[in-house]
Amino acid sequence: MQTFTIKPFDMPAGAAALREQVRAVIREHVTDGDIVRRANCWQVNDPEFSRVLGKAGLIGMTWPKQYGGHERSALERYIVLEELLSAGAPVGAHWIADRQTAPLLLRYGTEAQRQRWVPGIAAGEIYGCIGLSEPNAGSDLASVRSSARRDGDDWVLNGQKIWTTNAHIAHIMIGLFRSEEGSERNAGLSQFLIPLDTPGITIRPIINLTGEHDFNEVFFDDVRLPADGLVGTEGQGWSQATAELSLERSGPERYLSSHVLVTELIRHAGGSQDAAVLALIGKLASEVWTLRQMSLAVAGRMAAGEDPALEATIVKDLGNSLEQAIPSLIQAVVELDLSSGDALALLTAQLLQVSPSFSLRGGTREILRGIVARGLGLR
Amino acid sequence: MNEQQTMLADMAGSLFSALSHGATVAADWGRIEEMGFAGLLLGEEEGGFGGGWADAGIVFRLAGYHALALPLVEAVVAARLAADAGFAGDGFGTLAEKTEGGIDDGGFTGFLKGVAWGREAGYVVAPSPSGGAMILSPRDAVIEKRQNAADEPRDILRFSGAPVVPVDADIFALGAAARSMQMAGALDAALELAVGYVNDRKQFGKPLGKLQAVQQALAVFACEAAAANSAAVGVAQALDRGDASFEVAAAKARANMAAGLGTSIGHQAHGAIGFTHEYGLHPLTRRLWSWRSEFGGEHHWTMLLGTRIAAAGADNFWAEMVRRSDPVA
Ligand SMILES: Cc1cc2nc3c(=O)[nH]c(=O)nc-3n(C[C@H](O)[C@H](O)[C@H](O)COP(=O)(O)OP(=O)(O)OC[C@H]3O[C@@H](n4cnc5c(N)ncnc54)[C@H](O)[C@@H]3O)c2cc1C
Repeated sequence: MQTFTIKPFDMPAGAAALREQVRAVIREHVTDGDIVRRANCWQVNDPEFSRVLGKAGLIGMTWPKQYGGHERSALERYIVLEELLSAGAPVGAHWIADRQTAPLLLRYGTEAQRQRWVPGIAAGEIYGCIGLSEPNAGSDLASVRSSARRDGDDWVLNGQKIWTTNAHIAHIMIGLFRSEEGSERNAGLSQFLIPLDTPGITIRPIINLTGEHDFNEVFFDDVRLPADGLVGTEGQGWSQATAELSLERSGPERYLSSHVLVTELIRHAGGSQDAAVLALIGKLASEVWTLRQMSLAVAGRMAAGEDPALEATIVKDLGNSLEQAIPSLIQAVVELDLSSGDALALLTAQLLQVSPSFSLRGGTREILRGIVARGLGLR
Repeated sequence: MNEQQTMLADMAGSLFSALSHGATVAADWGRIEEMGFAGLLLGEEEGGFGGGWADAGIVFRLAGYHALALPLVEAVVAARLAADAGFAGDGFGTLAEKTEGGIDDGGFTGFLKGVAWGREAGYVVAPSPSGGAMILSPRDAVIEKRQNAADEPRDILRFSGAPVVPVDADIFALGAAARSMQMAGALDAALELAVGYVNDRKQFGKPLGKLQAVQQALAVFACEAAAANSAAVGVAQALDRGDASFEVAAAKARANMAAGLGTSIGHQAHGAIGFTHEYGLHPLTRRLWSWRSEFGGEHHWTMLLGTRIAAAGADNFWAEMVRRSDPVA
């Protein structure tokens, strides 16, 4: 048995030049002195920076040029993402649209949907959000109850989504709705592309534990969409939504959310001889290096047209556990004054507070491990 | 794996599974020689297989997977280094983990520790007190037989003014790389045993594998085994590229971490049966515990890595790590 099918990856020629391009953009535009905004940076919004990236050709890296993409390889896209994340660049505004919304439209959308939305996404001007969770459908996503009903050629949506990251800044939502009345579980679900300025939609903020506004409740009250509000095939919402999961689960954002804190720890260590700190730096480096190997191996296989779903799940579980552990491991070996303005203290405090979400968002630890167990053939 | 590697894996897999932890050098080394495994890292013009570290990694992983009780990985690495030194030894070569002593007038006086199967080896490659490595003949040594926790021979060889052949290599790092590959295999094998066992064994009227607590624990094990295997592949790639000093440290440290969790979950899932001498879990877990300390424990490698990273400075950590796997511009 081999738990993880590893195809060694080779980085593309020109990798170094591409990194330098991304770093130059960061040096020029990420000058904000607020270091806390570097933590968990793919949930930090800066539309202006997103537009800069769009102009630099760093969003929609792999998409066809006719939709504003750049027809680069998956590994080139990976390089751009890992450079942005490791530097703590504020990529939250366009992140979901780049990772999920546009790829979904390119795969299942109509020509009209693609032309209407994808170029704006590539430009860093159009943002997306994900409407999966509902008050009574969390881990048990198949219990989604929000409904889509046909009315002539139109669709009429009713119900409620919750925990919707960025609904308040997004232009469109890809939402999972029950399109067949009386259907059960994962049958009878469809995906809809919902412009969030459509009448009947109410978005209410949910303030998170640090006092920030990242996620929302979204209410649908007789929201009327034209026929082409449907994405892909009616009734295939479940398989369409889950087909994208490997991409969502194995990217560098699944282990780099706390990376700037590791960088700060190294700065703190400076010329220090503190064995506990040095050993922790070494341990974190060993784990980050390993996760990068794993995440790149999955990216390589996806680029070759495979769907390494089990491997992607493993990357997310290991990666989330690491990025979640980092602030508390640091707290254990460094004497910190969390009320000070010291960079290490500020970042540790921020990540202690937001890191519980790392093993919840995008599928909880327990759900992921259940998937791994099934992949192992446990019955 | 390419076609040649698949063939190599098939060959190694069937031989190692037949030999496994019951093998002895006296009875079974001939079969390793016959198939030319010791020449894995030698060029075809040197009479070898013409393989690189990626190929060696596949074979070393399988040696670990089958708990092979022969000094195969040591012999492969030693043969490569002997060829580098222009040294033609008879019999198989092995590695020493540590050296204490000094070289005077070209003669080594001191002792080598952790010499795998030193009692039966034709030559031994050891860290040299003057840097790099050196090759010695066990015939010049007084041998004290010792073994690790898995009963694998780890002898002490004492020398007095013995002739040495110098060779440029970091034995400790190469040994660590080899162990991380063996550990990856042993972890996968122990995981496979555990999965098979809990699917078979019934308690409370159903297979243990149906219990969520058991499933979650084995999922953790699977993640650790996957990490160790990825690290092992990564270190082989780095060795094939050239300087692998960073990757060896990262991979051995990661394998050591995985061994801690993997052995404990593996045994827990097995209950008492896994604690018996008859059952096949201990040849894997006892090796994992032993290998975890050989050629550097977690602290050794994480300190080395941490010190190096701190010295290079915070803003170089990421850049340097990724530069290492980028093609040279
Ligand atoms: C920061 C953040 C951003 C998010 N953004 C979005 C978003 O943009 N769009 C969106 O749709 N959703 C989003 N979510 C929601 C996220 O997907 C859910 O939180 C997640 O699916 C879990 O659902 P729940 O919160 O209802 O927890 P529950 O499902 O109620 O679970 C609570 C606990 O019970 C455990 N549990 C549940 N079922 C099982 C089981 N079968 N076996 C063992 N343990 C179990 C869980 O693992 C968890 O630990 C976000 C969440 C967070 C924290």
